[in-house]
Amino acid sequence: MNEQIEQDWLDRKLQEAAPYIEDDGFTARVLQQLPAPRQAGQFLRPFILVGMSALASALTYVLSDGGRFILVEMFRLTTIPTLWVVAFALASGMLVMAGGIFAAMSKSNHIQSEV
Amino acid sequence: MELTDAGLVARVLVDDDQHAFGALVRRHQSSVRGLLRQLTRGDLALADDLAQDAFVRAYKNIRSFRGEAKFSTWLYRIAYNCFREDARRRKELVGINEEQWQAEQDPQTVDPGLRHDLMHALSLLPLHERSAVLLCCQKGLSHDEAGRALDIPLGTVKTNVLRGREKLKKTLAVWAQ
Repeated sequence: MNEQIEQDWLDRKLQEAAPYIEDDGFTARVLQQLPAPRQAGQFLRPFILVGMSALASALTYVLSDGGRFILVEMFRLTTIPTLWVVAFALASGMLVMAGGIFAAMSKSNHIQSEV
Repeated sequence: MELTDAGLVARVLVDDDQHAFGALVRRHQSSVRGLLRQLTRGDLALADDLAQDAFVRAYKNIRSFRGEAKFSTWLYRIAYNCFREDARRRKELVGINEEQWQAEQDPQTVDPGLRHDLMHALSLLPLHERSAVLLCCQKGLSHDEAGRALDIPLGTVKTNVLRGREKLKKTLAVWAQ
């Protein structure tokens, strides 16, 4: 019981020894150091990118005679040996996986060093 | 009506609202600066520099605040990390600025003699005990919250608080009578 009273006394004194610290321009100094806020029109960026991509695709389709070259390339693809296709798919998969792992590791390191 | 911490954080996340972040800084600046002042053993200029650094880091990394702990606990963690990194750089070359320290304390609340002995006793505690005692006994964090802030296991927090308290009680035994 005595132990608890002593503990409460100590905690109370510790709390009393930490009075409120006036701001005195501290918040203003912090706000000055913050990076500039995001641009208001930034939300338009994805719409612009998608729009430009759609426009480029439509132009390509029209200028390439209805995408005839795609049919030609598809036909050429069917003549490639199966082993080459398997090797190409495997190499692409490994490349994408390595990229993903590298991105995850660098992101994790960045968060750990910042926080 | 005053917004909660969670509401202000949401505004920062969604609109990048720096006014909302300013409100968070105003709300927590006293406790964060107070904690750092005690961790740096009364070096007010260094404590304020570290507090500024902590708040700027908090703003830049606010997306990593997942709301599992209180915002203040998350801030204490960042502030403690800032302090630790700086101490590592300075190799703990922080001294006690007793005069400035005394001038900053509120003379109405605690007997000046007791305050002096308390602060001196605190400054003598090893860093791991001092930080655990400050967060749990002064800032009112639970052992679990302090563990998150200091990034140490729950059992270690309990041990550090217990040992720190024992040392403080021993040093301040005369005042407790």
